[in-house]
Amino acid sequence: MSQTVSADHILETRGIQNSLDAFVVAAAFDRTGTAAAFALGDGTVRIARRGATDWPGVAVHDGAALALAPDAAPTGWVSGGDDAALKRIGADGGVSDIASFGMKWVEHVASFTDGKARLVGCGVGKHVHLFDGKDDRLKTLEHPSTVTGIAFDAKGKRVAASHYNGASVWFVASKTDNPRKLEWKGSHTGIAISPDGDAVVTAMQENALHGWRLSDGQHMRMSGYPSKTRAMSFTKNGKWLATSGAESIVLWPFFGGGPMGKPPTELAGGDGVLCTMLATHPAQEAVAAGFSDGLVVLADINSARILPVAGTGRGPVSAMAWSPDGTYLAFGTETGFAAIVDFSKK
Amino acid sequence: MADAAPNTDLVPVTVLTGYLGAGKTTLLNRILSENHGRKYAVVINEFGELGVDNDLVVDTDEEVFEMNNGCICCTVRGDLIRIVGGLMKRRDKFDGIIIETTGLANPGPVAQTFFVDDNVRAKTRLDAIVTVVDAKHLPERLQDSNEAEDQIAFADVIVLNKADLVTPEELEAVEQQIRKINKFAKIHRTTKANVPIAELLNQGAFDLTRVLAHTPGFLTEDDHEHNDDVTSMSFEVESPIDAERFNAWIGALLAEKGQDLLRTKGILAYAGDERRFAFQAVHMIADGDFIGPWKEGEPRVSRIVFIGRNLNRPQLRRGFESCQAA
Repeated sequence: MSQTVSADHILETRGIQNSLDAFVVAAAFDRTGTAAAFALGDGTVRIARRGATDWPGVAVHDGAALALAPDAAPTGWVSGGDDAALKRIGADGGVSDIASFGMKWVEHVASFTDGKARLVGCGVGKHVHLFDGKDDRLKTLEHPSTVTGIAFDAKGKRVAASHYNGASVWFVASKTDNPRKLEWKGSHTGIAISPDGDAVVTAMQENALHGWRLSDGQHMRMSGYPSKTRAMSFTKNGKWLATSGAESIVLWPFFGGGPMGKPPTELAGGDGVLCTMLATHPAQEAVAAGFSDGLVVLADINSARILPVAGTGRGPVSAMAWSPDGTYLAFGTETGFAAIVDFSKK
Repeated sequence: MADAAPNTDLVPVTVLTGYLGAGKTTLLNRILSENHGRKYAVVINEFGELGVDNDLVVDTDEEVFEMNNGCICCTVRGDLIRIVGGLMKRRDKFDGIIIETTGLANPGPVAQTFFVDDNVRAKTRLDAIVTVVDAKHLPERLQDSNEAEDQIAFADVIVLNKADLVTPEELEAVEQQIRKINKFAKIHRTTKANVPIAELLNQGAFDLTRVLAHTPGFLTEDDHEHNDDVTSMSFEVESPIDAERFNAWIGALLAEKGQDLLRTKGILAYAGDERRFAFQAVHMIADGDFIGPWKEGEPRVSRIVFIGRNLNRPQLRRGFESCQAA
């Protein structure tokens, strides 16, 4: 006699869930990991402190929130919205302005800190704006077309932006503002940098990824997706690039010469449902992934074991983030469901 | 399968084209300020012209790019893909989206965007392309540019504005000129773009059922077919269509002539199916879906409409007729 364990077992026994009544645009823990924030389509941000069941909402954007990242400071977050504002949200829920950009949407935000230097970047139209720890604008970097994604490298030395016909990689501290131009014809819609800083990968309109190895200029083409890739995330050790956009978690090998000419590893496939969001674990070779039917799983890459986290029926998974120590996973869906799951040993 | 009547969960999108000065901005201001009980997100190119403060107005730079999908005329608006994605995050705040194009723009890339991008297709449906033309200046525009002609050819609805600035005879002549290019669009004669908003928005015009049901001049043989002017023609057959044959024929036709074929639309009765099949294409990019059953007693006539350049009537007719199920 076998007993079926519910797909919601982990959610029910280790999770705190809430219905937020708006599209969950992004989730992020702050750098201490003591609280997670969910940025919503109604312009509010919900702050979930560790263990709290009640997540207070703060009004941040007049319109929809479009992007969220942890602040470069130890606590709090930065967010962008379609009200042209870049805002800071404190751990206490206090909201302040960092900058405003007229009529343009603030579609991308990113931050970096190594404990000393602090950087906040945002993508607005064709520009990437960089701010230091005091919110002084360090730089405004102009691109040939609208910026569709930004990423700092692991050391905060460079910032990369995707746009039409390729990507631009800028040195943050450079006196002369000339980017390294990575060219490939087409519309590039998102960007990631490998932890060692040697590979830049973009998602493309044509359901494919394109990559450049910076050390020797080698191009990498990764294709075969049935839909666009929205989420890309390198594993901590840089061996794998986990990607959404297929009916499984697609992992490209970035070791032993790179992904060229190799098939990717596919995990958690077989149901014919698109993977819409994912986040690699900050320490282990593992990836959490969400699907268009609401299913959330945790996949161990080496053993290919799949642990169900939440079952189907709560809307396409649209946001996902790990706490910096990898013990908590936050996720949310297009229909406003959100949860935080505790993976620590009990 | 559930009856696939036009999906009401999908956000209707109206594309508003027309030359500078034709009255587009007047119309947009009316849509934004009049009390018609619906809210529209409006995507515009030059915010300055619009005197309305509204958090649903989105300013964009038209960014057109070519898709690398082996289709030479497939260009899409990347900025619209991004903006529609962004607007969907507050889907509950509006009833529809209106996209204004710049005066000189060819509506092709805008329309193709709604066929090509999966995420956009999953959330929206192209409701209609509305072209505003200036009754006084249209004849000149048609002489000096292809864009004016293309904007009329692409239109589902034409607002023939500034009718008060011309004589009744001139107005009639302009309308004839429009009909020569596109005899299937609905035409509203207006002054100050004073067409009732309800007649423009959420018409389901792009799904073409209504358009095809009221097609004037079916089966007329009055066009000059071998020149660069845009013309439109339609064909109908009474016996059911074989889906496979149709797909093979239309696929080859669009691949070969797609650059000349601006719009192709059809309502088809497939053999052995109780539902109407709606087919449409912009250049080479095609799309089709079942749109609900034929009405009781309604003649199951399959119709197809072509709007474009260098249309070869006998060839198109023979091709369509050969799609009938044996």
